[in-house]
Amino acid sequence: MRSQIDPITLAIIQNRLDFIARQMGWVMIRTSRSPIFNQSHDFSCFIADAEGHLISQADGIPIHTGGGGFAVEAILDYFGDDIHKGDVFLLNDPYVAGGNHLPDWVVAWPVFEGDTLIAFTCNRAHQSDIGGGAAGTYNPEATEIFHEGIRIPPVKLVRDGEMDDDLFRLLMLNTRTPHLLEGDLLAMIGSARIGAEELLKLSASQEGGLRSAFEGVMDHAERKMKHLLQNLDDGEYSYEESFDNDCFETRKIRICVTLKKSKDRLTVDFAGTDPQIKGFKNSSLANTYSAVYAGIVSFFGKELPRNSGTFRAIEISAPKGSLVNPNPPAPVTMCTVFPAHEIMHCIWFALTEASPERALAGWGKNSFPVTSGRDRENRTWVMYNWSACSGAGATRTRDGFEQIGPIVTLGGLTIPNAETFEQIYPVRIHKQELRCDGGGSGEHRGGSGVDYDVEFLTDVEMSFRSEGADRPTGVGVCGGGDGKMATMDLRNANGEAVAVPDYGNVTLGPNRMRISSPGGGGVGNPAMRDAELVLRDVRDGLVSIEAAREDYRVVVNSASEQIDWPSTRSLRNNADSR
Amino acid sequence: MANRREVGDSTEGLRIGVDVGGTFTDMVVASPNGSIDVFKVPSTPSKPDDAVMAAVEKAAEEFGMRQDAFLRSVSHFIHGTTIATNTALEGKGARVGLIVTDGFRDFLEIRRGIRENPWDHHAPFAPVLVPRYLRLPVKGRLDAQGSELQPLSVEDVAEAVRTFREEDVESFAICLMNAFLDGTHEREIAAELESEFPENYVTLSSKAAPILGEYERGSTAVMNSYVGPRTINYLRALETRLAQAGLASPLLLVQNNGGITSVEEVADRAVNLMLSGPAAAIGSLNHFAESIGKNSLISMEIGGTSCDVMLMNEGHVNYTDRLQIAGYDIVSPSVEVHTIGAGGGTIARVDEAGLLLLGPEGAGARPGPACYGFGGEHPTVTDAHAVLGRFVSGPYADGAITIDASRAHDAIDAHIASRLGVSVEEAAIGILRLMDQQLVLAVQKLSTERGNDPKLFDLVAGGGAGPLHVVNVARNLGCQRVYVPRISGAFCALGMLGSNCRHDNMRFFRGILGEVSPDDLVDGLLDLRMEVIDKLLREGFKEDEAIVQFTMDLRYVGQQWDIPVPVDLPIEHDRVRSTFETMHEKLFGHVQTRGAIEVKALRSSATGLMEKLMQPRGAQTAATPEPGETRRIWVDQKSGWMDVACYSGATLASGHAFEGPALIEEQTTTLLVGDGDHVTVDNAGNYLIMMADNDNA
Repeated sequence: MRSQIDPITLAIIQNRLDFIARQMGWVMIRTSRSPIFNQSHDFSCFIADAEGHLISQADGIPIHTGGGGFAVEAILDYFGDDIHKGDVFLLNDPYVAGGNHLPDWVVAWPVFEGDTLIAFTCNRAHQSDIGGGAAGTYNPEATEIFHEGIRIPPVKLVRDGEMDDDLFRLLMLNTRTPHLLEGDLLAMIGSARIGAEELLKLSASQEGGLRSAFEGVMDHAERKMKHLLQNLDDGEYSYEESFDNDCFETRKIRICVTLKKSKDRLTVDFAGTDPQIKGFKNSSLANTYSAVYAGIVSFFGKELPRNSGTFRAIEISAPKGSLVNPNPPAPVTMCTVFPAHEIMHCIWFALTEASPERALAGWGKNSFPVTSGRDRENRTWVMYNWSACSGAGATRTRDGFEQIGPIVTLGGLTIPNAETFEQIYPVRIHKQELRCDGGGSGEHRGGSGVDYDVEFLTDVEMSFRSEGADRPTGVGVCGGGDGKMATMDLRNANGEAVAVPDYGNVTLGPNRMRISSPGGGGVGNPAMRDAELVLRDVRDGLVSIEAAREDYRVVVNSASEQIDWPSTRSLRNNADSR
Repeated sequence: MANRREVGDSTEGLRIGVDVGGTFTDMVVASPNGSIDVFKVPSTPSKPDDAVMAAVEKAAEEFGMRQDAFLRSVSHFIHGTTIATNTALEGKGARVGLIVTDGFRDFLEIRRGIRENPWDHHAPFAPVLVPRYLRLPVKGRLDAQGSELQPLSVEDVAEAVRTFREEDVESFAICLMNAFLDGTHEREIAAELESEFPENYVTLSSKAAPILGEYERGSTAVMNSYVGPRTINYLRALETRLAQAGLASPLLLVQNNGGITSVEEVADRAVNLMLSGPAAAIGSLNHFAESIGKNSLISMEIGGTSCDVMLMNEGHVNYTDRLQIAGYDIVSPSVEVHTIGAGGGTIARVDEAGLLLLGPEGAGARPGPACYGFGGEHPTVTDAHAVLGRFVSGPYADGAITIDASRAHDAIDAHIASRLGVSVEEAAIGILRLMDQQLVLAVQKLSTERGNDPKLFDLVAGGGAGPLHVVNVARNLGCQRVYVPRISGAFCALGMLGSNCRHDNMRFFRGILGEVSPDDLVDGLLDLRMEVIDKLLREGFKEDEAIVQFTMDLRYVGQQWDIPVPVDLPIEHDRVRSTFETMHEKLFGHVQTRGAIEVKALRSSATGLMEKLMQPRGAQTAATPEPGETRRIWVDQKSGWMDVACYSGATLASGHAFEGPALIEEQTTTLLVGDGDHVTVDNAGNYLIMMADNDNA
């Protein structure tokens, strides 16, 4: 169906829908209890139409992009006509309910214009704890989804305006952090309700309702995506990423992406990707789609809308039983980080081949554990060591961010203040400083990553989920170098080294952990980098004098901290002629 | 500060407000007899004091006085300055050296990874204000309770001093871990720096922003030292120049908190001037609340590039202390101003998929809108007004601008209409609908999202472009009345004259409501009180004249956002809890009965009231005003094109009343009134509009 909406009204409605989604996010941030929402913004608010098409997701973390449609489709499948005013739905299961992984719960509020269902206002949010084999939702030892927490099919959490107290008690019993989950669920429902109210106001002001407006919004996005595709050369572009382990054994596991671009269509084919694995790095289908969408939208830039219209031109083929479309009961909880990171890299690097002027280098893969313990009231606390986040890759327009939130949030996750963590957790942070030579070299340098040094003052459990410690992961492109890989060092109270698994849980007493986080990749030939910028990096201690000479072909006099121009010119001329 | 009681006879006691903008410097002169005059001169960005002096000269001439005599008769000379903000925007601040705790050299550059729009990841951060080689670590550490784990290393401090000397550092900032709990180490370092560099600016994070969070605290300290020297040098130079020209009273400044203070008091807190201009809107709202007879008001000040919205609820304006300016995070007590990039010069365009977009890019003062003929090619909001008959070809703003409507027509045709396949008029209407939508959403951000129903507020227009939008925005929001000051073009300069003296301070606190002893809370609040009262005393107020307000920042345990809850002494936990719950309910629609409430910070403010501005009283007239001409104008979505009576503001006087549609052209602004709306010129000579459609019941 082609929309008949006039271009002016379309513009007005598009803005209004985005505003509503952001308003929902605003309510969520300010009312939720878990740091994972109100500090890390690990949630997204979205509006879907009555068929489950995503209409607006102006607020939310990139790795949720476009995936919400699966959840709404599952509700429609389960409940059909049994969807009424006053119902509120809840779900999380990736195999039966369109979820991406179990910690992300979706609350969906059906919106009615008169008696007609027109939309769902939804909130997908990562809960602090949902049971399972490890506190904090990540169980690196899981081999089945049953080890990962409570599975929720589409259910009515609220029926006819009344909370289902039986169900609510069941949920609260299945978390280690009911004190957080209760407030968080109420915040999610509150945010969906605000969205529904605002959508109804918009609908009332719109002659003929919102249906044709939704079509118009999607049509515009489709045109925009197709316009971008038309300006790329037809052809096939491939990239292969990999894991070095399946969470249990060291072995190479491949994620292969081939982009086939023809006219205004793009096919994303995962053929060649390895079969599903034992550990929890399998990607649910919803997550695979989201990672592809996030990769494509972030490659082309901020103006591309993120609704179902954008994705009409994109076809995704993920072989059943593979890592990116596993059969149950494969565990999947890690997927929003790994292999989402790998999938986004594949999309970026394949598109970089198609459109090198938009080149994006890789971001270092995070390599820190989730730490948990008990407070004096015996309540579980869960601390993400975000202060050990990696460096970002460079682009054509900037160097890599030196330290930034994960790629799957496009850096939207806010890194905590060390002081704040010292107030709320039994820790003392000793260091969080940029690494020297951590960033990949390049005309645009990769982000450095940091040296992080933390002391845990009580007994803790560490849940390791590292991907960046075995080889460089911040991949450089178009002549840029790779960022350095991570190093990790864990010592008990006696100063003795404790073995750190790539994946797995470690329980220990007071301890000290040092992590050097991976750097991001560079873009372009480092010998083309502005020598003054190289000098600045040397003075700042971010690039060593040796690396300046070897990688960047800039000779810096160590005593005067000035560029030795004659030597630099001669080095750089030689580099050009090679 | 000049005693506010010195306002004397008719030749004495002039009050002057000066607002330096990007294009114009506005001066408002209020005489003791209630008359208010506005003078506009072109700004001189490289030397802003030149424009201030030019405005003084122009005003003196108008008053028929010599400049020295004119200045001598001024009791209050109040200045809103953009110099601190511009210094940051233009990267023209001092060469700053930063001292940090060993191990934390980089929080300033990491910035917690905060970027406004994660999807916009191709854009770099704003340049870091202190390069890494001037961010120097010193050993010495406090734990999370503020106890010393490791003494301060004097050797490290000496080493840093040596480096700063070699590198010709101009000013200094200090931000040590957990210094919000105890500033002793920071003070020791400051003493060392001050003895080594007695002339240079030093900012302590524990003094500038004693909050939890090394990044925000440190960023504030650095910004203060970055903009401080240039800002204070400018202010001292201006003060000297004014004194030499005859001004006998000290130069006064508007701070981010909307309160005025002297150069001396703000000298070590330049960061408190980052919002110096827009914050003055609170003074305008104070002033107009009297003539309107209502103190629940929303102001919408629209200039060439942006719109500033402020909300006053029953006389109270929200305060915040988190600001982001020019891409830098700053903590400073501030009136809440919501700014969006939507002004007369905001550019409209069509994307490659046929969607009409407005802003945030603007055409600035130069080249400006296409219809100004300064070479601007892109269609702007002002061009849309010209196409729709709200502006006609000819001179505006005393001839500073000449509008050519055909250029507006051509620009909208080429860039918008032909691409959308609609007429030029339809395209122009689209631009204005998008503009008004952005304005509506900006107002809702401060009203609806804070639990305030905009229908219960009157909308007040400010800025040159505000009066063209305010009526339609009010209609969309359901407001019943709109107020348009005749001098809305000098909204903030006027506001400076309606401002009071105000000082704020705060301290970190840790405890659970009901568990902490009320005495600890009271002691903390009284300490804070003493500090702000001292400032007021130094400014010539008596202790019993100070209005003190105490606030506690509260949240449910686990939340990350505080609600600032006003409290009275003595502290009664039940009463505090009930105030908190009422506010939480209003903001978020629910409360958690029996939920534990954390106290995160204590705050105090002290206000010294300035004498109110006289409300001007124009001669009353009962006559019906005659419009100058009737013009074909597109009024709004509902009425479309109409024959609209156009009035020259100069012909309208207090007591005049008439029905819309109407267009009123003032010297610095143009007001558009919708069909059936009722306009009265009030006693103060300003326009009060009763909205036709919005239910007045």
